[in-house]
Amino acid sequence: MRRVSVDIGGTFTDCFLAFDGKYVESKSLTTHNNLSSGFMDALGKACDEIGVPVAEVLEGVDAVRYATTLGTNALIERNGPKVGLVTTAGFESTVPLMRARGYGDGLGEAQQADLPAANRPAALVPMSNIVGIRERIDYKGDAILTVDEDDVRAQVRKLVDLGVQAFVVALVNAVVNPAHEKQVEQIILSEYPTHMLGSIPIVLSHRVAGRKGEYARATSSIIDAYLHDQMYHGMSTLEIALRRNGYKKPMLLVHNTSGMAQMNSTSSLQTIHSGPVAGLEATNYLSNAFKEPNLIATDMGGTSFDIGLVTADGTKFYDFNPIIDRWLVSTPMTYLHTLGAGGGSIARFDRMWNAIEVGPASAGSDPGPACYGRGGKLPTTTDANLVLGYLDEDNYAGGTIKLSKRRAERAIEEHICKPTGMSVIEAAKAIKRKVDSNMAAAIFKEVAVKGYNPKNFVILSYGGGGPLHACGYSAGIGVKRVLIPPFSSVFSALGAGNMDQLHIHETSVYMMLYDANTRAMLGDFSNFNEVVAQLEARGRDDLLRQGAKEEDIRTRLELDLRYGNQLAETGVVCPFSRIESDQDVITLLDIFSHNYAQRFGEGSQAPEAGVRINVIRVVSYLSHAQVDLKPSHAKGAGAPTPRAERICHFPSLAEGAVTAVYDYADLAEGTVINGPALIETPRTTYLVEPDWKLTVGNSGSAWLEMKS
Amino acid sequence: MNIHSSAKQERSLIEKFLEENVLFLGPDPEIMNNHKLAPETAAETTALAKFTDADQMNLVRHKLQTACNESFDMVEQMGAAPGAKWGDLIAGVWTASGDLALSSMGGVLLFSVLTQHPVKFILKYWQKDPTVGLKEGDIFLHNDARYGNIHNTDQSLILPVFHEGKLVCFTGAMVHEGENGAIEPGGMPSKAESPYDEGLKMPPIKVGENYTFRKDIMTFLQNSVREPKLQLEGMKSKLYAAMRMKTRIEETIAEYGIDALSATLRRTLTDTADEVRRRLRTWPDGKVRQNVFPDGTLRENVLLRLRLEMEKRDDELILDFRGSSPEFTNRANNTVLASAKGMLAQEFLSFVWPDLPRNQAVFEPMTVLTDKNSALNCSPAAPNAQSMMTFFPSFTAAQLAAPKFVYSASEKATDVISGWYNMIVTFIYGGFNQHGELVGNVCADLNGMGGAARWNRDGEHSIAPIFAPMADIGEQELIEEEVPMMKIVPNRVMRDNQGFGKYRGGHGYQQIATMKDTSLWGFMACSIGSKFPSTHGIFGGYGAATYPLCKVTGVNVFEVMKDNRELLRYTVEEIMNEQPFKDAKYTTHHMGLQLEFANPGELYMLTQGSGGGYGDVLDRDPEMVAQDYRDKLVSMDVARDIYSVVLDATTGAVDPQGTAAARAAARKKRLQQGKPYAEFVAEWETEHPPEHLPFYGSWKDPKLIYRGSPTDTCSADAMVGVMMPDPKDVRIRQLESQLEQLTKG
Repeated sequence: MRRVSVDIGGTFTDCFLAFDGKYVESKSLTTHNNLSSGFMDALGKACDEIGVPVAEVLEGVDAVRYATTLGTNALIERNGPKVGLVTTAGFESTVPLMRARGYGDGLGEAQQADLPAANRPAALVPMSNIVGIRERIDYKGDAILTVDEDDVRAQVRKLVDLGVQAFVVALVNAVVNPAHEKQVEQIILSEYPTHMLGSIPIVLSHRVAGRKGEYARATSSIIDAYLHDQMYHGMSTLEIALRRNGYKKPMLLVHNTSGMAQMNSTSSLQTIHSGPVAGLEATNYLSNAFKEPNLIATDMGGTSFDIGLVTADGTKFYDFNPIIDRWLVSTPMTYLHTLGAGGGSIARFDRMWNAIEVGPASAGSDPGPACYGRGGKLPTTTDANLVLGYLDEDNYAGGTIKLSKRRAERAIEEHICKPTGMSVIEAAKAIKRKVDSNMAAAIFKEVAVKGYNPKNFVILSYGGGGPLHACGYSAGIGVKRVLIPPFSSVFSALGAGNMDQLHIHETSVYMMLYDANTRAMLGDFSNFNEVVAQLEARGRDDLLRQGAKEEDIRTRLELDLRYGNQLAETGVVCPFSRIESDQDVITLLDIFSHNYAQRFGEGSQAPEAGVRINVIRVVSYLSHAQVDLKPSHAKGAGAPTPRAERICHFPSLAEGAVTAVYDYADLAEGTVINGPALIETPRTTYLVEPDWKLTVGNSGSAWLEMKS
Repeated sequence: MNIHSSAKQERSLIEKFLEENVLFLGPDPEIMNNHKLAPETAAETTALAKFTDADQMNLVRHKLQTACNESFDMVEQMGAAPGAKWGDLIAGVWTASGDLALSSMGGVLLFSVLTQHPVKFILKYWQKDPTVGLKEGDIFLHNDARYGNIHNTDQSLILPVFHEGKLVCFTGAMVHEGENGAIEPGGMPSKAESPYDEGLKMPPIKVGENYTFRKDIMTFLQNSVREPKLQLEGMKSKLYAAMRMKTRIEETIAEYGIDALSATLRRTLTDTADEVRRRLRTWPDGKVRQNVFPDGTLRENVLLRLRLEMEKRDDELILDFRGSSPEFTNRANNTVLASAKGMLAQEFLSFVWPDLPRNQAVFEPMTVLTDKNSALNCSPAAPNAQSMMTFFPSFTAAQLAAPKFVYSASEKATDVISGWYNMIVTFIYGGFNQHGELVGNVCADLNGMGGAARWNRDGEHSIAPIFAPMADIGEQELIEEEVPMMKIVPNRVMRDNQGFGKYRGGHGYQQIATMKDTSLWGFMACSIGSKFPSTHGIFGGYGAATYPLCKVTGVNVFEVMKDNRELLRYTVEEIMNEQPFKDAKYTTHHMGLQLEFANPGELYMLTQGSGGGYGDVLDRDPEMVAQDYRDKLVSMDVARDIYSVVLDATTGAVDPQGTAAARAAARKKRLQQGKPYAEFVAEWETEHPPEHLPFYGSWKDPKLIYRGSPTDTCSADAMVGVMMPDPKDVRIRQLESQLEQLTKG
């Protein structure tokens, strides 16, 4: 296998190269002005390591796969084009009002609760750039008010006069009947044809999202239009750079649905958050490769802590209404929970509870923790870790950041010790205990709320801070084994290297599997099967357009079902692609009942209230060969002499303990190290707490296990 | 035996007889009038002595808080009521004495002070009753507001939690379920003339054992409401959420021990109360007065006075509502005292100290004074399904009074604000939906109340109801799929609907609704504020406007869409002013609409109100006025006449010189109109309310209560409830009188 996969993050560009059985990782600083520079630099380092010129590698690889945060950054920086929204008359305020609750979307609980201070985010489309046209389609798809061409032309002209550079057309019930959106598109095209210089891109909402919900679909479409240009130019620049260096195939972009596609089959919205999702996909891959069916992926960075789940039953967890930046959208995204907890999380004394709280406020990287010496005065998780002895002042982040223990101590003394009377060490221990507990509680809720017992899982820990806190947050929920994965520092890039080409198409429907009012089961299968066939055709077209062979295309049918008039939709993977008998209906009801009971408790099911199909979803994919990582089975290597020893402090020990410090590079596979110990790598530190032991694996991996 | 001991013995026998022969257990004033924490129990004292580490306690608290949030999510996901789907609920854990110690971060916070009462009722009356009892696996359900609730449309489910045979706490959830079998569909009948018109009246009752509902009781409940499906799903969702929380509590006990649980729950309450007292000490001592005037009962236009004197003394806050309107014994707008306290607590939990934990101790240092049988402390015989019509205004009174303390307090937890819009302007509906199902409930878009102006910036448009953060107004496409109601205009910001001020309040929206594809469908509305603003500005800012319910009957808008599309209009003002549909009838009403069956294509129109303004309009930055004009939030008239800002008619740009001149002229005019205070009082003050005004409440002397006319009074100490005539009878009498006149003529 020859494959390049890259994850461009806010700080680093990570590269994972698979080349004729060799697997290599490399990193470069992200070059925001021209992403291809950092990209080529990271690739160059990886090529140097295997001793093959970049051009030869690019010419020979089967694919270059790419996950990016470019879209997220563009959204935060608000440097997109001026977008105009054409909506159904009467619905002009739908987007500005953000369903009322939108003020708090994307914010923490404390900010959401503070109504007097609530502010909506600056609009992507200001109120003055929204026009209503006189048309209406009802819930069934009947056009009860047809489109008036003159009205559309007049409204569109108003937007053009205001200088809009992109149109979004989001009409009510367009997912049931898209005729009016298409008609508006034709009218705009007749005014501003695509072959003319004055053409203006048009995004139709039903093409972006298939679900009912006019607000979330409109915002999805707005974000898509807002990011399109910038993404297009950014990706094109990258593709040109690759071509100049010998690459001839289409680049594959990672999607937030855990799949990927070529640029001609990728919308900008699908690339948002693709890096973290690729990390979860790497977890999925490791689950198979390491034969660990239940994994909780935990990625602890400087400001956030991402949690994802891979389960033995193969359930795919989607977020059907994810929040991008501050906006609720309705395109399915692989589910990840993000908590405001990281190395930069700020600790404070909570007067009311007479206790220490940590986060969600973060010092980020600028000014950063007090020990960075960049102006930060408030104590953070990293400051506590330094005071407790876990971090090396002179060798943090590969020696790139020089830490000051004195500054860390001073910040803790000022803000924690003074009000509590604790010693600095006691305070630092309390900070660590609290941050570990916060992460443990978040993991517990994420797993338990989906109906699983966390104790049956192994925790996968990656990201800069993960291996430092993994023993702490795992013990907090009773998990006794932690896997620090191979290539953990480029884990998302590794995930990108193992993805399938995949497209998801879904549509809202109103179909009763069991109608409680009439006591009738679904009898007419043709309508259901017709919808499935249409969705399959759309997925097939996507993949054929990218050169796939029809016989290689696979599909998976998923249904979102609910009891009665609930809000909850429970996803069901349908074991067949068409309903052909009453038995099939009963089978679906049984699977749904099982899934629902797992999530909410046996007995909580309410089939007597009726069972409805809300959404039909078809996942169409093309399987790709995967890299071949195997777990290490080496055993019994003796621990070398530690590089150093430090006094470290642990919440479970009253006094400081002499702690051995090792360099990961010095450790052979199979080496077992008993805690307390520290293992340093160029990018992070593995902390083995007193009741834990660590076994060294391959390619940077390791197992942490609780001794009793 | 002497005479004394004989009399004592007889008295004792009589008391025993009376105790054993109670006709039925009504609401217990001893429970209902007491919002303070239960005394510390011996078990709590022991636990507090053993489990002392504050950081450990914080970890336990965090675990329990996470469990509350998890249960909240479960109810929201599993529930079927619009209220459940859009956040009108709460999940929590109570001490073994019945105090709510922790509740979910999201949801309706006024529940947090109210829910102690039904739990305390269970403890006092059922725990030792041989026919009921309290044991592991028991499920209790409750909805009657007279036993502690917001209103009867909310249902609470409560589970006791035992450890080694001892009661250690309770878990549960409360949800605005909607339909409850009342005289009108949807659970909030403004037509109710007695508690017996209000549907289900459940004191806390045992509805199941061994974590299983009793089928006979479930059948009874489902038969008592219009939406049996909703009743089932609502009960199941609450039960499984409460069970999940019970599991989490058992895990907490296993990890930290029983003392950790007891100590943490108790300390959470006492620490919260201590913190509130500490914060109150940072306020200046003093007294602030604020009146609000609810302008109707939802059946007729009347003017109620709710009179508040808010006094802060050291670490205590006294909210004195004595002298307010009497109760209306055959109207649904009365409030049970405990509900009023819940709503007042909402002000402090959401708008003054949003960082405080959600538990009942937040209200511990407060004292509420009311007159018995008044609108804010009604008798059990008075209906209360629409208590929002008095307790929302009482909240507003507190909200407008609080800034006068907080503004100069040495510490603030959030922004100082003006009055948030406070009415549930939306439609309640009932009838058969397009799928043939009988339904009745309330639309979620009541959640879009206009936000108040802040001390340093404008309010947000239609952002949140006063009773819950992060509440949702929903998606029309999803609503249309389930009910045959179509919003021609679902929620469109209305021009000039602004609480004017240096910083303006957030706008409310207008909505235009109709129906189709059903054989039977009715609309209701339940808001006041059509004649007198229901919220106000502060420090010179204007209040909300007044809003009518507008109707266009005798038209089928779907026919207009087919044949006369040029007649379509998309704002209330255009429809009502231009009256484009020939032969249709255009009417305006107050916003209290009892269930009215509609014909397809007829229009029902409401306007959600704006938040109050903050500061003087003449201090508003002219550029902000210009921006509002460009965003179609204000007209040129408002810019000129209210803000004295001169804008270019074509570009909307500010004319600085013109504006300066207009503002100078406005200030001069104010000075000319001004008069000394004594002169003003002499001119305006009267001894009695005017004769033409149906006024209820005290006028000058808070001890003397007016009951609708200057001659009909009672003492505040012996308040006499008001009986109102049926508006239909009133109308018949009017018509008969007119007929008589015509016949004579």
